Amino acid sequence: MAETETVAADHQRNPTGFQVFVVRLRRNLRTTTPYFAVLGIVLWLVVWWLLCEVLKAPRFEKMPGPVMVLKELLSPEPFLGISIFTEEFYQHVYVSCRRIFFAFCIATGLGVPLGLLMGWSKRFREYTFPILETLRPIPILAWVPLAILMFRGFEGPVIFLATLASLYVTTLNTLLGVDSIDESYFRAAGCLGSKPHHVFLHVVIPGALPFIFTGLQISVGVAWFSLVAAEMVSGDYGLGYLIIDAYMNNVTIPMVIGMVTLGFVGWGTSVIVRVVGSRMMQWRTRALALENR
Amino acid sequence: MNRAAMNPEQNPVQTKGAISIRNVTKIYDPEGVNVMAVDDCTLEIQPGEVCMVVGPSGCGKTTLLNAIAGFHSVTMGEIYLDGELLCGPSKPKADQGADRVVVFQNGALFPWKTLTDNVAYGPYVQGKLGKAESRQKARHMLAEAGLGDFLEKFPGEVSSGMARRAEIVRALINDPKVLLLDEPYRAMDELTKSIMHEALLEMYDRTRVTLFFITHDLEEAIFLGDRVVVMTTRPCKTKKILNVTIPRPRDYRVLSSDAFRQLVDETNEAVHEEALKAFEAGEREMA
Repeated sequence: MAETETVAADHQRNPTGFQVFVVRLRRNLRTTTPYFAVLGIVLWLVVWWLLCEVLKAPRFEKMPGPVMVLKELLSPEPFLGISIFTEEFYQHVYVSCRRIFFAFCIATGLGVPLGLLMGWSKRFREYTFPILETLRPIPILAWVPLAILMFRGFEGPVIFLATLASLYVTTLNTLLGVDSIDESYFRAAGCLGSKPHHVFLHVVIPGALPFIFTGLQISVGVAWFSLVAAEMVSGDYGLGYLIIDAYMNNVTIPMVIGMVTLGFVGWGTSVIVRVVGSRMMQWRTRALALENR
Repeated sequence: MNRAAMNPEQNPVQTKGAISIRNVTKIYDPEGVNVMAVDDCTLEIQPGEVCMVVGPSGCGKTTLLNAIAGFHSVTMGEIYLDGELLCGPSKPKADQGADRVVVFQNGALFPWKTLTDNVAYGPYVQGKLGKAESRQKARHMLAEAGLGDFLEKFPGEVSSGMARRAEIVRALINDPKVLLLDEPYRAMDELTKSIMHEALLEMYDRTRVTLFFITHDLEEAIFLGDRVVVMTTRPCKTKKILNVTIPRPRDYRVLSSDAFRQLVDETNEAVHEEALKAFEAGEREMA
C-alpha cells in the first residue's frame, strides 16, 4: 500500500511559481483591478493635460503638457533631439540600466552575505553594526566629491554611488530577515543533528529570503534615486544626465521624457525583482495563493 | 492498519530511552531577580514508557523538556539518558542531538521545505543517508503515516493536523531514543485531536519509543500515557504520579469506561489545586 501511494505522489504535479503567476494574472484580468489601474493612469494624464494645455492654469502654463511630450516622444524627427526613434534615447536608457545592473549586483552580492553573517554571528554584528549605522545616514550626494576622487572616468563614481545606497538597504533588510526567523526552527534544526553550516544553509538563508526580497525591491528603487543624483553630477549619458542636460539647456520636454522613461524602467526593474523573488520562494507564493493573496 | 487486530507480540520490547532526572533545579535570572522554575525535581522514566507531564501553565514543564533537549542549562542536579550523563554540574547544558527529537508547541516544520525534504533533513545532515536515499526513505515513511498525497506539498499548504503528523515522522526517521512533545496538539479542535491521538498511539505501538509528553489536557494525558506526572505550580516539582493501567492497544472507546473516568477525577483533583495556586500567584507564564 505504501508503495502505490509513493508512486501516485510522484506523478502528482504541483504548480510552479510561474504557473501560479499565470493563473493569478488570468484571474486578475477577470476582475476590475487592472482596468481601474489603466483608468487611473488615463485620469492622471487627462488632469495633466487639462492643467497644462487646456486651462493653462497659473504655475502650470510653462510646463509641457502630455500631448506635447507624447508628440515629441513619438516623432521620427524630434525637434529637441530626443524621441523613441533616436538612437540617443536608447543610449541613455541602456547606459542607466547597465549602471543599475552593476550597482544592484554588487550591492546584492555584498549586502546579502554581509547581512546574513551579521544576523547569524553575534560577534560579527557587534563589530560591524555601528559602522553600518554611522555610514547609513550620510546622504549619497555627500559622497559625490570623494567618489570622483576615488574613481576615474564616469562609470566608476556613478556605479559606486548607486551601489552604496542600495548596499545599506540590502544589508539591513537581510539582517532583519535573519532576526525574524522563529527560534523554534533553529532548535528543530539543532535537535535533528545539524552542524552550524547546515543551519546557515537550511535555516538562515531560506528563512531570511522574504525579508531579503523586500529589501531588494526597495534597494533597486534606491539605486535609481542615487544613480540619477550621481549622473546629474558626473556623467556623459544616462537618464539622469538627460534630465540635468535638458535643465541646463532650458528645455523642459526632454526633461519630462527622461522622467517618464525613468518611471517606467524603474517599475520594470522592481517587477523583475518581484518575479525572481516569488520564483525563489515557491513555498511562500503557494501558501499566499491559497489565501487568495 | 487496524491496531486492535495487531498481534501484541510484534511490538518490539524497548530497551533504550530511559531518562533519569535527578534533583534538577533550574533558576532563571532574567532581570537580576532569581526565579526558580524547577525545584529539586526527580523523575525516572522507563525505556519505552509514555510519560505524560501535566501541570498549570508556566509551571516549568517546558523548562524540564528544554533541559533534556539541550536548549537550556540546568542550575543543579543531573539528567541521564540510558545511563549517560546529558547534563549535570560538570556540563550544565546538554548537547543537542538526534537521539532526543522535539515536536514543538506551534509546529516547527521548515516552511521552505516540502514535507519530503523536511523529513529527509535529519538523516541527510547527520550523514547517515545520501540525498536521494534520505528522500526515498522520507517518502516511504510519510506514505506509511497516511501522508502519501502530500509528499511534495509545503507545510503552509496542508492542515495543521497533517503538518503535526509530518513533524512526528520527521522526528521518528532519526530513530530517536526519546520523543519530546511540548503540547503538540494544543491549538487543535477536539475532533482533530482525537484523530491525532489514535495516529500517535498507532505509531507508538509500532515503535515503542519513549515519549515525554507535556500537556494541559487531562483526558489526553490519561488516554495516551502509561504514567501521568502531575507537577506543582512554579517552582515545578512532582506532586503526584498516577499509573494508567488501561491495557494497550487503546482506542476511543476507552474514553467512556469507568476506569478512565475514575483516573480523570483523581488527576483533576491534584491538578485543580495547583492551577488555583498558579492563578492566585498571577505570574506571567514562562516559555
